[in-house]
Amino acid sequence: MIEFRNLHKSFGDQKVLRGVELVVEEGETLALLGPSGTGKSVLIKHAIGLLEPDQGDVVVDGISIVNASAQELRRVRRMLGYVFQNSALFDSLTVAENLLLAQEDEGGRRTTRDCCDDATELLEKVNLDPVVLRKYPSELSGGMRKRVGVARAIASNPRYLLWDEPTTGLDPVNADNIDDLIMELGRNLGVTSIVVTHDLDTAFEVGDRIALLFDGQIRAVDTPDGILENPDPLVRRFVRRTRADAQERPKTLL
Amino acid sequence: MQRSVMQRRIGDGLGRIGEAALMARDILRVVPHPRLYFTSALQQSYVMGIQSLPLVLFIAALGGAVTSQQTGAQFTGGLPLWVIGSVLAASILTELGPLLTAIMLTGRVGAAIAAELASMKVTEQIDALYAMGRDPISFLVVPRVVGGFLVVPALVILADITGLVAGWAVGVIAVDGLTTADVVYGMRFYFRPWAAFFSVLKGIVFGVVITFTACFVGLQGRGGAEGVGRTTTTAVVATTLVLMIMDVLLAPVLKAF
Repeated sequence: MIEFRNLHKSFGDQKVLRGVELVVEEGETLALLGPSGTGKSVLIKHAIGLLEPDQGDVVVDGISIVNASAQELRRVRRMLGYVFQNSALFDSLTVAENLLLAQEDEGGRRTTRDCCDDATELLEKVNLDPVVLRKYPSELSGGMRKRVGVARAIASNPRYLLWDEPTTGLDPVNADNIDDLIMELGRNLGVTSIVVTHDLDTAFEVGDRIALLFDGQIRAVDTPDGILENPDPLVRRFVRRTRADAQERPKTLL
Repeated sequence: MQRSVMQRRIGDGLGRIGEAALMARDILRVVPHPRLYFTSALQQSYVMGIQSLPLVLFIAALGGAVTSQQTGAQFTGGLPLWVIGSVLAASILTELGPLLTAIMLTGRVGAAIAAELASMKVTEQIDALYAMGRDPISFLVVPRVVGGFLVVPALVILADITGLVAGWAVGVIAVDGLTTADVVYGMRFYFRPWAAFFSVLKGIVFGVVITFTACFVGLQGRGGAEGVGRTTTTAVVATTLVLMIMDVLLAPVLKAF
């Protein structure tokens, strides 16, 4: 379980988070929606200790991120996988090396063959040809880099996955593949996910619940149906507007 | 109460010194575990050492050539010519060899380290390491600092030899009346083993200063391409400044022995 408790964060004079309260239950997929620049990515970065809150706490699996020792924080990070918005692949390493770096090999017992087999399997999960293993990130398209980023995040078999705009920049087919992967990881492996997205299709498809972040606070958390019927005018306006945008696209969610 | 610009700058400066001290502490914690960084440190040594060698030797040769000519021009008629050999040995071993090497490496290696780490910072690659439970200090910083520690003294030794040989050759050709015997006599007259050790000691200190400062500044990188450029410039300026300060601080060590 991941709990955000009264989380506040400012950058200079700009207050981004103003007391976020949110609980992500074990095994669920929570889609986090909200306007651009409202602090969705900032929020999930607190869960993995990449940002320190000004006030409040994040508790992952009973461990307070704010009060965690370096060892505890490392343990929490091993439980979490993070899919970065811009992939954040190590550009001086090949795809294979990027994937191997993310895998646990305490004691160095795994052979090169084991590692390569695992890397190939990971790429298959994200619909990529193993031929890319020897390529450098700069030799890949944006969509391919994104999928390698996803493969890297799931390489250590995390219990929790934080997805920062996982489908942005992907074509509809690959966006669907990533949506399927998020759902499959949740259903088959019980992985708990927080999916930060602008894409209503993704949010409604993968989310067991949807949270809306407005003005640094969680405005609503509910099931997809509950969100659609939410009486809050701000929530209605956001969902209606986004639904209207979605209807204009060839592939609609409704 | 509003803090003045000066107060804010002093506060920022002290904060930076504190952060640098924490990074130094983290590096020292990793150093006793070579398994974590040994292979990368060797790779970094290769990149810093072999690839910088031609430039370092060329600059050292120029330094030696200038020293013997300048000394010859100023001392001819006033002092015995063999003094040129002494001045050459003293200036190359204690100052020019280590300092010219360090300044060249600041531009070549320090700038590259700062640019690489700043670029990794702004593209969230450093965050990705943290997110994977990997420590950027042991993964990125320690191999570079250990590489600098190992390779810069070796480069300084080679630069010293090249500077002395070039100074001798150019001196004999360019200074009227100067012979090889004069230069050798002057060098032997001055030479003390401690001077050679001092040269290597400076190489060690400078190697750590260049890599540490470049890593520290690089990891503070922010902004896009412009930020990476700004960070690189800052790293070169800061490293040169720290090198000169260390040079001044090390000078009394030579006198002490």
